[in-house]
Order: sequence, then C-alpha cells, then structure tokens
Amino acid sequence: LAGPPSPPGQDPHGWRVPVDCVRANELCAAEPSCSSRYRTLRQCLAGRDRNTMLANKECQAALEVLQESPLYDCRCKRGMKKELQCLQIYWSIHLGLTEGEEFYEASPYEPVTSRLSDIFRLASIFSGMDPATNSKSNHCLDAAKACNLNDNCKRLRSGYISTCSKEISATEHCSRRKCHKALRQFFDRVPSEYTYRLLFCSCKDQACAERRRQTIVPSCSYEDKEKPNCLDLRNTCRTDHLCRSRLADFHTNCQASFQSLTSCPGDNYQACLGSYAGLIGFDMTPNYVDASTTSITISPWCSCKGSGNMEEECEKFLRDFTENPCLRNAIQAFGNGTDVNLSP
Amino acid sequence: VSAFGLYFPRKEYSENVYIEQPAGTPLLRIHALRDSHGEAAHFHLCQNLVISRARSHENHWFQIREKTGLLYLSKSLDREDFNMLSVGNWMPLSKVMLYVFLSSHPFQEKECDSATRTTVFLSLINATAPACSSLTARQLCFTEMDLSFHIKENKPPGTFHQLQLPSVHHLCQNLSISYKLLAAEGMPFRYNENTTGVSVTQRLDREERERYELIAKCTVREGFREMQVEVPFLVNVLDEDDSPPFLPNGTDTADAVVEFNRKEGTVLATLTVYDADTTPIYPLESSRKKYTGTIITDDPWISETFRVEHIFDEIHFSPNGSQVRGTRHEYKLVLNKSISVTEHRSFQLDVLVNDTEFHGPERSVILHFNVSILPVSIQFPNMTYQFTVNRNAERFAQIGKICIENCMKFRGVNITYKLLSPSVSCYPVSVLQGREDKYGSLYVNDSSVLHRPECKEIQYTIQATDKQSRKHTKTLLTIVLEGTLLKKEEDCPDSCAVSKHHAECEECGGLGVLTGRCQWRQGSGKGITTNYSTCTPSIKTCPDGTCDVVESKDPAVCPQDCTSGNIIGGHGKGIGNLGIKSGHGICYCFPRQNCYCEKDDIKEQLCDDVCKTVI
Repeated sequence: LAGPPSPPGQDPHGWRVPVDCVRANELCAAEPSCSSRYRTLRQCLAGRDRNTMLANKECQAALEVLQESPLYDCRCKRGMKKELQCLQIYWSIHLGLTEGEEFYEASPYEPVTSRLSDIFRLASIFSGMDPATNSKSNHCLDAAKACNLNDNCKRLRSGYISTCSKEISATEHCSRRKCHKALRQFFDRVPSEYTYRLLFCSCKDQACAERRRQTIVPSCSYEDKEKPNCLDLRNTCRTDHLCRSRLADFHTNCQASFQSLTSCPGDNYQACLGSYAGLIGFDMTPNYVDASTTSITISPWCSCKGSGNMEEECEKFLRDFTENPCLRNAIQAFGNGTDVNLSP
Repeated sequence: VSAFGLYFPRKEYSENVYIEQPAGTPLLRIHALRDSHGEAAHFHLCQNLVISRARSHENHWFQIREKTGLLYLSKSLDREDFNMLSVGNWMPLSKVMLYVFLSSHPFQEKECDSATRTTVFLSLINATAPACSSLTARQLCFTEMDLSFHIKENKPPGTFHQLQLPSVHHLCQNLSISYKLLAAEGMPFRYNENTTGVSVTQRLDREERERYELIAKCTVREGFREMQVEVPFLVNVLDEDDSPPFLPNGTDTADAVVEFNRKEGTVLATLTVYDADTTPIYPLESSRKKYTGTIITDDPWISETFRVEHIFDEIHFSPNGSQVRGTRHEYKLVLNKSISVTEHRSFQLDVLVNDTEFHGPERSVILHFNVSILPVSIQFPNMTYQFTVNRNAERFAQIGKICIENCMKFRGVNITYKLLSPSVSCYPVSVLQGREDKYGSLYVNDSSVLHRPECKEIQYTIQATDKQSRKHTKTLLTIVLEGTLLKKEEDCPDSCAVSKHHAECEECGGLGVLTGRCQWRQGSGKGITTNYSTCTPSIKTCPDGTCDVVESKDPAVCPQDCTSGNIIGGHGKGIGNLGIKSGHGICYCFPRQNCYCEKDDIKEQLCDDVCKTVI
C-alpha cells in the first residue's frame, strides 16, 4: 500500500496538517501502485456517476488504496505557486466522490490559523495608531492613505483602479475580465493588514460608507446590466475550479453556526474575512449593496427572482451573504479593532 | 420529477449523536408525502455513510424503520468509531451524512439509486449525551434547523412532520414537553396532540397562496417550573403546471410596421402572454422548451425574414390579498435579416404559443401580428445644396453635411455618397463618410484651389446610392468661394491645438480652419471639466467628444478629440481612450506627441487693500 511518506504533522489545535495536492501528486507519481490507481480512479470518475463507479470492483479497489495515500487528504493554499494546478488535482478526486451538487462543499484550502489580533498587531506597527482610538476620523480614508504609503499596495491598487475604470467604447463600459484579474492580484499579493482596512473599515457617515462600497470599483467589477438568478450564478461559479474553491472556502469559514459565541466556525473571524476577500474578482464577487452606515448588507450581484420551485434553496444561498451573523460580526469586529479572546 | 410521486417535505434533516449512546436510541423521524391516494411509503438507508471530503464508510450504526421512517442507533458508537469518522475533518464539529431513500413498494435490493432521497446530517459530538437538566428549553424543544417545509400543490393531505424530538423524548422521560401550532386558524394544517404530528388537511393550490407562516410553540414543564419557546414554522407550496396561458385584456394583435428601420435584429412589435404558474429562469434552456412560440407559415420568405424571440420574467399576482408569483412571457417579432428598401407588402403573421406541460385543452394561444412593410424612397430633399467656402479655409475644414431625406432615421440601410465633378480644374472639396455614418461630410481637400481667382462658383453633382438595392439619386451642389485672401502668418504651427493662449490662437491658422484663423474656446475654469479652454479650428466640431471621420484623417486637425497619446495634467480620457473628455484649465497638444492640461498662471494682484492694512 502507498502510505504517506511521513506522518502528517499536528498543529497546536490538534488538526492534521495535510500535504498540498501538487506535492501529493508528485509523491503518488513516484509510487507505481499509487499512480496506476489514481489513473484508474480518474477514469472511473470521468463517468461522473458515483454509484455506477462504486459498483465497479476495480474502481472500488482503486478508491480503497487511494484512501491511504496523501492525495486523499491533500489541500491547497491560497495564493500558492501553482494554485490552479493544485485545485485541479483536488477536484479531479472530489468532484466525482461528493454526491452530485451539494449545497455546501468543503473547502480545498488549508485551515487558517492566524487571528485578527495578529493583523491588528502588525497594523499598529505600520501605522503607529490603534484603529479603535480616534473616533472622529474616516477609517476608509485612513486605509487608502496607509495603502498609498506602501509601494506594493499603492502599485497594485492603482493598477486595478485604472484597469477597472478604463472605458473601452460607448457600449462597453470597461473590461470586466481584466478588472477582475487585477483585483485578484491585489487581494492575493497585498498583505491583509492593508486590504482588510480598505474592505472592512468602519464608518459613521455616508461619505465614508460610499468610499467603502467603491473600494472594488463596483461599476465594473460588480454591477451588470441584469441581475442573474443566484443559483444560476452559483452554477457558473462552480464550472470554474478557482471560483468553486473560493466559494467552498467562504461557506466553510463563514457559515453561521449557533454553536459558538461569535456565530463563526471555530470563532475565527480572520478565516471568514479572508475567504470573503478571496471571492473578489470572480463571478461571485460580493460587495456592500449600499452606503448605509447603520446596517451592513452584503450580497453578490444576483437575486432570487425566477427561482420557481427552487426559491427556498436560492434564498438560503443568498442569506449566507445578506443575513449572515458570522460575516457581520467579523466585519464589525475588524472595524472596531476587537478580536475574540481565546482562552489558551 | 420522478416517475412515482412520493416525496420528502424537507431536503435535509439534522440531529446530534453522542459517544456511547445505547443501541436502540431513536434519533429522528422522517416523513413522506404522497402523490396519489393509496401509496404507502417505504424508507431505507444507503449502505454508506458519507464523511466530509469524499470519504465514505460502511454504515454499521444507523438503521431506519421501513414503514415509519424512524431513524435509530442500531449499535453504539464508541470513542474509536468517533475518531475514525472524524479523520480528515478539521472543523471542531464533524458531521456525517446519510441518504434516506423512498419508494412506494418494499425495497427488494438495498440499492441506492432512487431519485427521491433526503439527506440526514448527523453531528458527532465528542462527549457523552448531556443530562436533561443541562439542556436549554430551546435544545429540548427543537433542533438547530429551521422548521421549513415544502408541500406540492394538488396532492392528497398527509402528515409531514413530528414536533417532538425522538432523541430528547427518549432521553428525558420525566420531563413534560408539549407543543402547539399557533396562527393556524383558517389554515389547512392540523396539529395532533397525541402524536405531535403536523398534517396538511386538504389539497393546496399555489396559485391561491404559496407561503404559510405559522409558529410552533413548545412548553417544558419540570415540577413547578415552566419554560416556553416559540420558533417560526414555514410551509412553502411547490408549483406544478396547472394553469393555461392567458392574454392580458384579451390583447392578441399588434401592428408591426417596417419603414426606416429595416435592420436585422430590430424588434417590430411585442405581445404579452401571462401564466399563473412560475417559470424558473434556472436552468434557462429547459424553461424555454416548456413554453414555445412558433411562426405559423408555409411561406419560406416569411420564415427567413422574421423570427420570434421569447423572454419571460417573474411577476406577482394578488389573489385574495396574498402575493403569488406568476410569469409574464413576452413574444417579440424580430427581423431576421435586413429588408431591402424596395420591399412592399402587408400580411398577417400568426405565432402559436404553446404551454407544453399543461395538460388541459387551452394549452395554446395564437398571437397575430399585422405586418406592413413600406418601401422607402432614396431621394434628396427638394432643393439643391449650396455652401459658401471662405478662400482662407485650410485643408480638412468641414463645410457641411449632405443627407438624403430621413437619412438619420435609417437603420440597416447603407447609403454611400459620391461627388461627380464636372469641371476638371477646380475641385477643392471632397466627401467623406464614416463607417457608421448615414450622412456625408463635405470638407476641403485641396486648399490651393481656393486661392485661384478663376475658381468662384463650382457645381457638383452628388450621388447617393443604396448599397443593397443599387437604387440611387442625384442632386446639385454649388460651392461658392468668398472672402479675400489674407497674408499667412509666419512661423505658425500647422495645428491650432498647439496654441496655449487666446491671443496667439487667433493670430494663426491651422489644419481644418474655416476662415483662416483658429478659434479660441474659453472654458468655465472650474476644476476638471468638459468645458476646458482650448484652441481649435472650429468650435462647432472640435472638441465635441467624438473623433469624426474628417478629424481622424490627420492627427493635427483635432487632437482634443482624437489623441491616443499621453495627457499630462488633470484630465479625463474620452471614449475608447481617445481624446480629452475633460481637462483642468487650458488643454493644448503637440500632434503625434503629448497633450497638456494646466491652469494658466493667473496674474493676480499681489496685494489688495485689505492685505496692505494688515502689513
């Protein structure tokens, strides 16, 4: 049997630390038995029907062997080298094994262990001020200033802003594809102490909230002529490995639960905010729906109009953005500069 | 839609499982609703537990009663089982999934391929079952999942939920937990106190009402203490195609006139059909197939020339006060190809609209379009053109536009203009036409001719031709030269746009000027504005935000509209990154190089009276 070459490590929380799929694929390729089984399994899954697959002895055997291999538990890292290749390997196994279309899919990304407090620590070193102190200032403006003082942040921010506001012709207001790409680069390559401050700054007046809403240049990256149905949009997103992974990550880290004080899984605000930012620049790009200072409402650009008998499911999907206590608490906590105190 | 009609009123169920709960512990009750009387439900479990991340494991612990749908523990889960089932789960709470299948006959083989299934999520709690005293009233009464159900319309009544939690009831025998269904008066639901079952008492009709919002109330009594919990209890009614299409106000006829707009893709007329049923826009293609619109004709010309486009969206009806979703279908008669200007006919075109899934006699309606295709004439207005041109005009000066009757209304008709010059020696002007232009622009092509005294009045014939039908028309054009020749200034640039100041602008000429001198446009001077100050050959055409066909012949004519180079200073670019849409202060350009927008140095008084006194 192709066992893992080294026992997977343990991190302080007692979670297994998985190996990434690109590495796991290399390990598997070096093992004749593993690589042939992996090929077999991929052929089995190509038929895309789990039950017929499981009925086949050969497929069953391949599956059992691979359950022991590092491929089976492998994950990917956000913004890693060869991220797309890693996700392709991940979904090549998981797409056929999960039973069809599930409402929530498990995230292919490694769990986030850093906390918001780490960001605050960094941010206060950078800016020399505690975001919670001065109540008079416009936090979103401060965030833009802080970004402009950092070469990397400034370069990538002006990069996406100019790309997203470049008019192409009288009919085509901008190139959405290029704008999304530039936004993804910004959120992948700029440290979160800058990007979160721009995205999740807290506001007391409308001008500030409008600036916050405008952060991702919504007229190009978010709004569209028509609002598609949310289930249709989800379907479009799921045909793309990257978008699908980011959406699964959002569902994994921001899914509201009654089990915890903060409504967030594992009380980890940082993980939820990170997976929210990870959706920006894809079909499922979320944003603030208005410049209201009292209530924060977030939504992708879609509605549940025309859902027919799937309205319940559609509204459930949309509510994870619009009425999600975990996401709301996480954004407010970041704005106030507070984090959950974890008792060690 | 499955072949048999039994179905689950919920997509998902959830319950907690604790370590070492004894075998025989009931977990939850699952119900099924019928499609027709006399069906009996049989439940069964699939052989595999699905653990997250595509792992599955043979199910040794859970079983379901085939007749009643009660899911129970058949074998206790020990710590080792727990660890095995939690592998690969990094969330603090691990879940396993079970699929429950439904059939109207006893299961022969334990196969898992029935289309009708529901998912049960079991949360594995890493602790032994809690004592009843430590549970809150909320936990004793309801699970975490919303009480939300769906019931298909037009189906027989039946029980679809049990409020009592079998696991709690089993665990906490000495507690009295009772339920009530509030806000249920006049609603088609009944609560049975003995079984705590909730049933629907009659066939529902979605077109009457599609949502019922009730409240489930739970009372927990422990000795003298009494606690109450209320949660919303929702029932959605699922739609089936049980309504025929109908016409709003009986309108089934529309006029479709084809005159100046003859372009492929033009919408000529729209007729609307309503349907009380919902039509999902997702997945779109299947809905399109459900509702069809076809042109009834055996004339190949008609089927080639026209097509019907069908779009639909959701609207709301309000029968007896509640809001119900319905569908508005729009059928648009669209030109499938451009129609020649000579075409002339009228006829009635019928479109058959068919609601394919409705099984009644009125499943279709016929829409009538009264189509009239009128010919349009290609002719110039009843006069000859006459333009005067100043002898000092420069090359690319725009003299005027020529246009056949109604030319600006034309769509899908390609008219080209041509000058037929009679005299051999004098012809200073030419005509140009942009790719999308419906008119011709007259401009000075050879300014040296303007300087020749023998050329005074030049007669041209203009010809306009329709590309498709080759029909053409002619008229006369007279160009009268006027004015006396001015002496040319020395060392003037060839482009007006180079000048920075009012004075130097009006001293010089440049490409495109009409009277030998550039014109100064004085802007408003308020920040970055579309009304910036600049020097131009003609204020009428430059800058006007479009780089027209004459301006694009030479970058020196109007860089304010056409530049694609750098613009230095405060500015906004024009459409397609061409030209200066808005600028700060004065904008001037060096053709083929950069443009600059800047505030002029304002010569203000250094000190006024107030400041003197301060000093």
